[in-house]
Amino acid sequence: MSDPSTDQIKEEMRQYVLNEFLPGEKASNLHDDTPLRSSSIIDSVGLLRMIEFIENRYTIQVEAHEAGVENFDRIEDIATFIQNKRGAGA
Amino acid sequence: MSIGSPELLEEHQKLQDGAIEFAQSELGKDIIRRDREEEFSREDWRKCANFGVLGMPVAREYGGMGLGITEVIAVMEGLGYGTSDQGLLFSINAHMWTSIMPISLYGTPEQKQRYLPRLSNGEWISANAASEPEAGSDVFSMRTRAERRGDHYVLNGTKTFVTNAQVADLFVAYATIDLRLGSMGVTGFLIERNTPGIVISKPLEKMGLRTSPMAEVVFDECTVPVSNRLGREGRGVAVFESSMEWERGCILANYLGLMKRQLERSIQYAQTRKQFGKKIGKFQSVANRIVNMKVRLDTCRQLVYRIGWLKEHGKPATLEAAVAKLHVSESLVANCQDAIQVFGGYGYMVEQQIERELRDAMGSTLYSGTTEIQRNLIATCLGL
Ligand SMILES: Cc1cc2nc3c(=O)[nH]c(=O)nc-3n(C[C@H](O)[C@H](O)[C@H](O)COP(=O)(O)OP(=O)(O)OC[C@H]3O[C@@H](n4cnc5c(N)ncnc54)[C@H](O)[C@@H]3O)c2cc1C
Repeated sequence: MSDPSTDQIKEEMRQYVLNEFLPGEKASNLHDDTPLRSSSIIDSVGLLRMIEFIENRYTIQVEAHEAGVENFDRIEDIATFIQNKRGAGA
Repeated sequence: MSIGSPELLEEHQKLQDGAIEFAQSELGKDIIRRDREEEFSREDWRKCANFGVLGMPVAREYGGMGLGITEVIAVMEGLGYGTSDQGLLFSINAHMWTSIMPISLYGTPEQKQRYLPRLSNGEWISANAASEPEAGSDVFSMRTRAERRGDHYVLNGTKTFVTNAQVADLFVAYATIDLRLGSMGVTGFLIERNTPGIVISKPLEKMGLRTSPMAEVVFDECTVPVSNRLGREGRGVAVFESSMEWERGCILANYLGLMKRQLERSIQYAQTRKQFGKKIGKFQSVANRIVNMKVRLDTCRQLVYRIGWLKEHGKPATLEAAVAKLHVSESLVANCQDAIQVFGGYGYMVEQQIERELRDAMGSTLYSGTTEIQRNLIATCLGL
């Protein structure tokens, strides 16, 4: 996989969240800073699935202590986290 | 005797016939007294192990029978038809779906080697400790802590509604490594009965399934080696959910057999009991109850066997398992109520054993996720 930019990751994550958790919703309504966990768009099982998707898609490993809301509540935080992890692993 | 399921493949039917014969001749003795006294039968547990029931879904290399899920469903349906001890079957279900299955799916080779043969041959009984007094349907809000200290975790907290607790040799337990991580802190553990710090604190007396033991379990500075963690740290949700999908799909298979037996008994009774000079089956309102029982049974069977088919073809079954769990549990309760009504006052008497079947059935709308939670799950799967 060629290295995606942070903006590309944001778009991929937006599509993933729309497909999996908000079918029928317009992409323009899901902002980079829309809270996903605290607004209940994604529940416990959904979060797990999303993290498994991220691990497979971006070939990174998310450790338990990294899986809190600071990294996984908003698309912009998720994208930054993925980029940092990929950078750290590279 | 055969249940006569034309849609079962011949080999599945053979397995089921064997299970019926075994259950009728070997299980469920003295059930009325044992139900009253809440007595679990270790002897029947061993018989089931020897017959191969406990190891049905376990790979052959670990001492199991390596059966596919449809075969397991067929056997469980047969056992449900053949025995009146639904409590025993409930304990077996808890053992298979919430312990054996997660170990099979997430265990390390060492964990599988140590536990699966013992759990298959009846030497060990297992229990699943997830629910807590404050964390039931919202189970991942659990507060039992697992603190890492060197090569051990130390668990502290209280679990409730633990089926098999008093007789268990192994607990598949869940605890959080950090409350701030929410569900992503939840982690699975395999805890042997002789581990210091496990207290079986309070036996719980139930309305039904009384031959299946249940208790509250306290972990008090319970020290578990890191090698006994089940799955990755923080991935307890995956372990728990995988077992729930199997459980929701399969835990009610034995009730298909019970519903079939109840239907046969109700038909027979309606054909022989006379009032106002007529067989009661000739009264349309009685016949309609029995018709409803038949329709429910047939739809339930399709839903449960559909899960078998999906899983065997490697397809996801989250939605279908929730649909089956919801429909079978609600249908089971309705059928028990209809059977009691067909039998009139006799149905209400302990001797007829239908009142116990109703008491046993009531739990099915609660465990493995309540009816309301199944509806939530289905709605979510439908994009609502
Ligand atoms: C026979 C039996 C065996 C069991 N065995 C085990 C076992 O071996 N191990 C184990 O860990 N647990 C076990 N349980 C516990 C079982 O999983 C819980 O009882 C179940 O998850 C419900 O939790 P609760 O009882 O705390 O009810 P609560 O979660 O408090 O629910 C109370 C009511 O509120 C409703 N409700 C809650 N949340 C929602 C919502 N979001 N939307 C709509 N309605 C909602 C529920 O449906 C229910 O009607 C067993 C239970 C029974 C009855």
